[in-house]
Amino acid sequence: MPTLEAHIVKARRRFRLDVELRLEQGQRLALFGASGAGKSTVLSCLAGIEGPDAGRIRLGDTILYPPNLPLHRRPIAYLTQNDWLFPHLSVGANVTFGLRGHETNGAGPWLEELKERLALGPLWNERAREVSGGQARKVALARMLARRPPLVLLDEPFTALDHPAIHDLVDAILKWQAELGFTLIAVDHRNQILERLCPRAAAIEDGRIVQEGPWAELEDAPATPTLAALLAP
Amino acid sequence: MLAFTLALLYPLVGLGAPVGHWRWDGSIPGSTMSAVDVSLVLTGIALVLDVIVGTPVAWYLSRASGRDTILWEAAVLISVLMPPLALGILLSLAFGPSMEPGAWLLRLGLPTSNSPIAFVATQFYVSVGYYIVAARAAIAGVPIDLERTAALLGLRPWQVFRRITFPLARLGFAAAVSLAWVRALGEFGAIVVTSYYPSGMPVQIWINLQDAGMSAVMPLLLIFLLIALPLPWAIHLLAQRRGSDAHA
Repeated sequence: MPTLEAHIVKARRRFRLDVELRLEQGQRLALFGASGAGKSTVLSCLAGIEGPDAGRIRLGDTILYPPNLPLHRRPIAYLTQNDWLFPHLSVGANVTFGLRGHETNGAGPWLEELKERLALGPLWNERAREVSGGQARKVALARMLARRPPLVLLDEPFTALDHPAIHDLVDAILKWQAELGFTLIAVDHRNQILERLCPRAAAIEDGRIVQEGPWAELEDAPATPTLAALLAP
Repeated sequence: MLAFTLALLYPLVGLGAPVGHWRWDGSIPGSTMSAVDVSLVLTGIALVLDVIVGTPVAWYLSRASGRDTILWEAAVLISVLMPPLALGILLSLAFGPSMEPGAWLLRLGLPTSNSPIAFVATQFYVSVGYYIVAARAAIAGVPIDLERTAALLGLRPWQVFRRITFPLARLGFAAAVSLAWVRALGEFGAIVVTSYYPSGMPVQIWINLQDAGMSAVMPLLLIFLLIALPLPWAIHLLAQRRGSDAHA
């Protein structure tokens, strides 16, 4: 599993995003901050949806930027607020969509585990457009993890889910992260979820990391009044 | 709605108009079946070219965001908006023997007027813009985030098109092909200038009208309608059926 090194510079309307990250393999980091602070832009640049204006991004030996590596060559899984299931395909076809022939052959037990843990078995042959919102979230999660990616990016993936469903999904992600050892970066505006998902956090304000460390450190001595307000119980 | 539909279909009543005994092939100058063959084969080739050339252009126009796309869109629209007769005259001049492209093709033994090449090229020019405009709208209807998701799952751009964009835009592509087919097959104004021979159905209908009157036009007109209309319908119905199968 490779190390992620990123320095992302990008002009936004209100500020200039300038963020540096370094994550060893298997680390879990939360990006935390107010709406519009630049958290999602960081993930978007890492995934390749947006290109930075300057900086560098490297995942192990793979240079993601510059130049901007095409999406299909990035060993990255990216889950956003929208599921973006392929509506014309079945749930099963969605989950196995990113697997090539030889990967499908070797992925049997892993796919079975995803199917069982996320209760996708009864839906497997259903059209993706017909599943409910909560089910769609699980399908998107399974599709993302089916390829066993080295880097997983979660951008508010639990929006519109109820607490038991969030609890269940967070447990599943943590279990698989421990087993597969992928590096994880998560963004959410609810610190309770992020604290369960990631032991460390980087707080972002107006495009800059103002504090980074374990959650207890951020909560005990927040670096800025905005961060203190966000972390207030 | 009924009155409008009846008014819309009323011209078909003309097929029963008293024009005398219909004169079929053999009794009139030119060959009806030869015109049918010319139209079907050469329009088919033009349609294939429309799809091969027009699909990447439509994809680019629907996904590119730069200012230069306005220029490309304008260029495509010019071909759509150009009066057919004007286009035919311009094509015959631009590819005529006095201009370098036409002279070069002629040296290769490829005459650019009154030839199958001229016929196909003219049909391509008159129909590709329509294909691109319709295909572009079809592609634009597919959320770009679905394509990005597929790409992040490791699919190359052409694989994304084949597995995501095309299946989801199938109905729109069917409409684009139908539109291009009808436009190319029915073209008269430009074709009559660039390729009087070999005569396709519209030109042959004109020849029959001039040389033998309405009674010689009607058989070919009926064949023309029977050929022009069912293909777009068939494509549309097939796409709808497959679409509903895929969604079932």
